[in-house]
Amino acid sequence: MKKIWNSNIMRFFRNSPKTSVGAILVLIILLLTIGANLFTNIDPTHRFVDEYHVVPSGTHILGTTQLGNDVFAQTLYGGRVSILVGIFAGVLTVFLGIVFGITSGYFGGWYDNVITTFINIIMVIPNIVLLLIIAALLNGVSPFLISVIIGLTSWPWNARVLRAQTMSLRNREFVYSAETLGESKLRILFVEIMPNMLSIISSAFVSTLIYAIMASATLEFIGFGDPLSCTWGIMLFNANKSGALTSGAWWELLGPISGIVLFGVGLTLINFSIDEVSNPKLKAQRIMRAYYKVKKLQAKAMKKLSLNNTK
Amino acid sequence: MKYILKRLLFYIIAFFGALALNFFLPRMMPGNPVQMFLSNLYKSGGVVDEATIAAVEKLFGYDAETPLIISFFHYIGSIFKGDWGVSFTFFPQTVLESTARGVRWTVFLLGTALVLGFIINTLLGILVAWKRGSRLDTTLTVGGQILANIPSVVTAILLCIALAYTDIFPRGYAVTPLFFAENVFQYIGDVAYHAFLPVLAVIITGLGGIMGMRANMINQLGEDYIVMGIAKGVPDRKIMFGYGARNALLPVVTSLAMQIGFLLGGSLIVELVFNYPGLGQIMVMAISRRDYPLMQGILLMTTIVMLTANFIADISIMILDPRTRRQGVNGN
Repeated sequence: MKKIWNSNIMRFFRNSPKTSVGAILVLIILLLTIGANLFTNIDPTHRFVDEYHVVPSGTHILGTTQLGNDVFAQTLYGGRVSILVGIFAGVLTVFLGIVFGITSGYFGGWYDNVITTFINIIMVIPNIVLLLIIAALLNGVSPFLISVIIGLTSWPWNARVLRAQTMSLRNREFVYSAETLGESKLRILFVEIMPNMLSIISSAFVSTLIYAIMASATLEFIGFGDPLSCTWGIMLFNANKSGALTSGAWWELLGPISGIVLFGVGLTLINFSIDEVSNPKLKAQRIMRAYYKVKKLQAKAMKKLSLNNTK
Repeated sequence: MKYILKRLLFYIIAFFGALALNFFLPRMMPGNPVQMFLSNLYKSGGVVDEATIAAVEKLFGYDAETPLIISFFHYIGSIFKGDWGVSFTFFPQTVLESTARGVRWTVFLLGTALVLGFIINTLLGILVAWKRGSRLDTTLTVGGQILANIPSVVTAILLCIALAYTDIFPRGYAVTPLFFAENVFQYIGDVAYHAFLPVLAVIITGLGGIMGMRANMINQLGEDYIVMGIAKGVPDRKIMFGYGARNALLPVVTSLAMQIGFLLGGSLIVELVFNYPGLGQIMVMAISRRDYPLMQGILLMTTIVMLTANFIADISIMILDPRTRRQGVNGN
């Protein structure tokens, strides 16, 4: 037990409370949503007849909706879909970002010009509006399709960062030596250059995950998702439509809102620690804190000393 | 001047890109709007014959006879003539009229939030970078980032529950309905009172900007000229604002371009929650009634707002950074 406590990983977590809180939050939510059937035996689509807008109680931990669905069960099962949408969109976005960003940074020339212009154009078109219009043209979309749309429209942000990073790496010696050795382009791109950017890629993945969950909740809140599916966004949509706000049914909003907020907070904290690990400059923060502590103690000691002297 | 012209050229290209997207997107989609409209019409008991199909196609600007590329040029021409089509939600009004009505409030909301948010983020960023490593630093950066990562829907709903449903602030509209202000100040006060919560929600979603300003400021504070300033005995406040912040501000203004799009999306959603009469309301109405000309008009209108905002950011960079100005002089 003591061995585990003192191991490197545990020491890392102990030294960085931000990471531990973030990891614990994300783990709890993942556990609750993936193992939803362990924590509740109510079917999220089951409608309890004559139990509409019931206040939270023992049988319905978070009460029921206007239609008589159990909010707690809906939150758990809905979270599963929402998080999956986020993960899928995140993977797609990061993948496209890597492919276009690294290749355009490495090859340069007209290919780079075309990609950069395209990226810049996509970036000045408001993303949410574009998402909404594509969703509207497809006439209502399933959660899976939402993640595809988000993935296809939000990769330019990642591609831009990765392109800049590739351009700074491409004139390093190891790339030249790989070229001289006659390595294939594919190998240079993905085995030589890409591993140097893993921290950027992972932090991009986490932020896209947050963005995708936000965007899908927004799309569904406006009324684009499939109203029969059960996700956090759809729950917000239903609550808003049935007037949960005006009638004071706060419990209907509590489930999805706390799910989104807690998961977002957890991921944000994890993102901070990814930055800290990959960028030693940011670690200086902790050293600075120790410095402030010492300075404060010194000031206290000096004050004491001067007090003693005046006496 | 060369710099501004170069940016202007890019914005023109970007505008054409948006136009192309606007034109080809509906035509690439599986079921095209004409068929969708006709099927809805049929379902609701309308008569569908040759004449109706032709009329609907004409309404949407679809024409099977002329090649796509020619109708694209027709489309561009009509956009520049100010003919954006007729909205069927607000029938006698054209798309341009109905979007112009909403865009005023959206620009007001977004502009206020952008300016206030920029000032708040910059000042907090400078402060936090100056006191880096302190408890204040951790609280503000982590807290700001967390608040920025909560979707605007949730922020708006929470603010609405906390402040609007307790009747401290109004629950909707930009001005009190049936309220005739006696003088200008009263009107301004009423507008500000109604705009407070939506603006606050948009500012909260943009708080991530603290991080950017902080990172730039910390980089600047490590430079030699800062050390020189401290050694010379320049007062702290002057080093903070006159030395560090002036240089740290440039990349932040540049990255504002990215933020504007994000904030615009956020403000459209916030408008919806607070029942604010901006583009967000019109957009949802257009979408729920499948009003394609209006949707396309809104995409164009928001793109124009974005491009204008970006252009203003570019001009302010030119004012802030003497290097871009000198570059222009050399170029001519």
